[in-house]
Amino acid sequence: MHSTRSIVIFVLIMTTVVSLLLAFLSSAWAQRSKDNALLYAKKATLGAVSQHLDMDYASINNDQVDDIFSNQVEQKVLRMDGTELTKEEVEALGYAGGQAENVDILKEMKKPESERVLPLFIYKKKSGDKFYILSATGKGLWDVIWGCVAVESDLRTLAGVSFDHKAETPGLGAEIKDNKTWVKQFTGTKIYDEQGNYTSVYVRKGGAKDPDYEVDGISGATITANGVSEMLKRGLKYYEPYLKSI
Amino acid sequence: MAETQVLEKKVATPISFGKKERALITDPLNDNNPITVQVLGICSALAVTTGMKNAAVMAVAVVFVCVGSNVITSALRKAIPSQVRMIVQLVIIATLVTVVELTLKAYAFESYKQLSVFIGLIITNCIVMGRLEAFAMANRPYESALDGLGNGIGYGIILLIVAFFRELLGKGELFGMKLIGAGDIYAINTETSDIFGWYVSNGLMVQFPSAMFVIAVLIWAHRAWNPKLVDIS
Amino acid sequence: MGELANIFIKSAFIENLALAYFLGMCSFLAVSKSVKTAFGLGLAVIFVLGITMPINWMIETYLLSENGVFSTDLTFLRFILFIAVIASMVQLVEMVVEKMSPALYNSLGIFLPLITVNCAILGGSLFMVSKEYNFGESVAFGLGGGFGWFVAIVAIAAIREKIKYSNVPPAMRGLGMAFLLTGMMGMAFMGLMGIDFVNF
Repeated sequence: MHSTRSIVIFVLIMTTVVSLLLAFLSSAWAQRSKDNALLYAKKATLGAVSQHLDMDYASINNDQVDDIFSNQVEQKVLRMDGTELTKEEVEALGYAGGQAENVDILKEMKKPESERVLPLFIYKKKSGDKFYILSATGKGLWDVIWGCVAVESDLRTLAGVSFDHKAETPGLGAEIKDNKTWVKQFTGTKIYDEQGNYTSVYVRKGGAKDPDYEVDGISGATITANGVSEMLKRGLKYYEPYLKSI
Repeated sequence: MAETQVLEKKVATPISFGKKERALITDPLNDNNPITVQVLGICSALAVTTGMKNAAVMAVAVVFVCVGSNVITSALRKAIPSQVRMIVQLVIIATLVTVVELTLKAYAFESYKQLSVFIGLIITNCIVMGRLEAFAMANRPYESALDGLGNGIGYGIILLIVAFFRELLGKGELFGMKLIGAGDIYAINTETSDIFGWYVSNGLMVQFPSAMFVIAVLIWAHRAWNPKLVDIS
Repeated sequence: MGELANIFIKSAFIENLALAYFLGMCSFLAVSKSVKTAFGLGLAVIFVLGITMPINWMIETYLLSENGVFSTDLTFLRFILFIAVIASMVQLVEMVVEKMSPALYNSLGIFLPLITVNCAILGGSLFMVSKEYNFGESVAFGLGGGFGWFVAIVAIAAIREKIKYSNVPPAMRGLGMAFLLTGMMGMAFMGLMGIDFVNF
């Protein structure tokens, strides 16, 4: 039998050792995991223009992602009225770094609509073509979904999209991220009609009727697909003041 | 008194790899399989087996935590006060799991994202805790390491078998490689193939309940092949 | 209030910890042989989930997060603190119940130690963090999740009591059937997926 004193000493030693070990590991790898998270987000952003990159997106490596971001991507953070925030203003919101890549769109989602800020990435192809990459957040079946949408320089046609999710069912809802054939359908669809009215892109269960403004649904994942429709319809509209101003 | 003698005798045996040590590893693979016989650690077995890749990462993580916690607990077994035994074991496990989480976060971010909360649930994976209580508290680190290895592998194998069926039948993929399905990205395109034109992936297989069915069939097969495991009650 | 009720119902039936996430399966399968014991374990789970969830929420918000009292990111201690809270709360509850109500202790007591390693408890806390609930929501989530688990284990125990008299292939007896049944109940609960009570 151990005395109370020896138990207390044992527990104290153990907790100290354990927390020191974990604190050491955590701080040693902190920068690495932060970089990983940022890189993951950057890669997802580039996923929206995956068909317009100068290299193959599937085999892109981390250095190339960083390289594209520093040389070919211009970043802006917008208010809901379309005006731009300065770097300091973004940092004041708690996003260290002050760039669009530092903005946490899931955190923005929780703010009242009028106070949100919107990250915008402008990707310039080496040939000179410009793509505007917009971000949107919404709700899937289980939890949040989000995505990046690239608009061509006519500000009407989609050049590609990339979606991600927190907890959609693998093989069903998760197809919005994994099924590249489905994602490719968005390329060439339009978010404004000929007259310039906002239409967004609709995910239609049973198959798209108008391939210009609709894409096929995902069987077994109607709610996630509806979530995508809703997210695009609401989320892309936020950028309208800015898109109208250029 | 008799007990201490036995204990001393045990300590005196040299470290070797004989029949007894081999049994420590092979026993959990068959007669004492953690999942199909002892019914331990089911939760994570169900959640992460939608794909082979996740299952493999999980299996490696569990083997690491199992061996690590077994060795540490067994090395400290004489120092651990029995009154706070459980919480000390839990802290050891939780520390190792946090190490796994931090490692994944730093070196395999994709897997970290996909496994999310289920890495944390290794802590309450009853296999780990069960082996500490049943084996590591009474044996030398060397034997405990073998025991942890055996149980971790026995668990991992079932995980991989379940994931194999779920990923292949549910998505037509293995380790993310597209094998069979509609569309030209698959190796066998069911839209154009003459032989496999009838094949449709079964969406239910990627859902949680199907893991239950696959394990039930595994148990059936295992017990039919090894009748001494049949539940007579 | 409507939002909280929504979370309660959602976590109890739609995102059922036992039948939609399959958490706490070890004790779910091991202790569901009779309705009486299942009832006791289920109650104990509601109890412990309802207590640990708000405590873990406070730990996460005030100690571990960057906006907490230490203003550093201490989330690497999350697993250890959560499991320590769960283990010590279980022990504390056990002692309090023993003192206050011996009758309750007799029916709940033997299940309490089992609960420490019940993944539903730790899983619930980890889900709460990942879903970024606030205090009220985490209480509703804890109670709802516990209630859902309770309903699930009592239901499966009732089915298993009935199935004892069925002629099942020897290799499928006991465990095999329990797995099949849980799978089928999970399928039934899948039918509730996606219901949103806010727009009801």
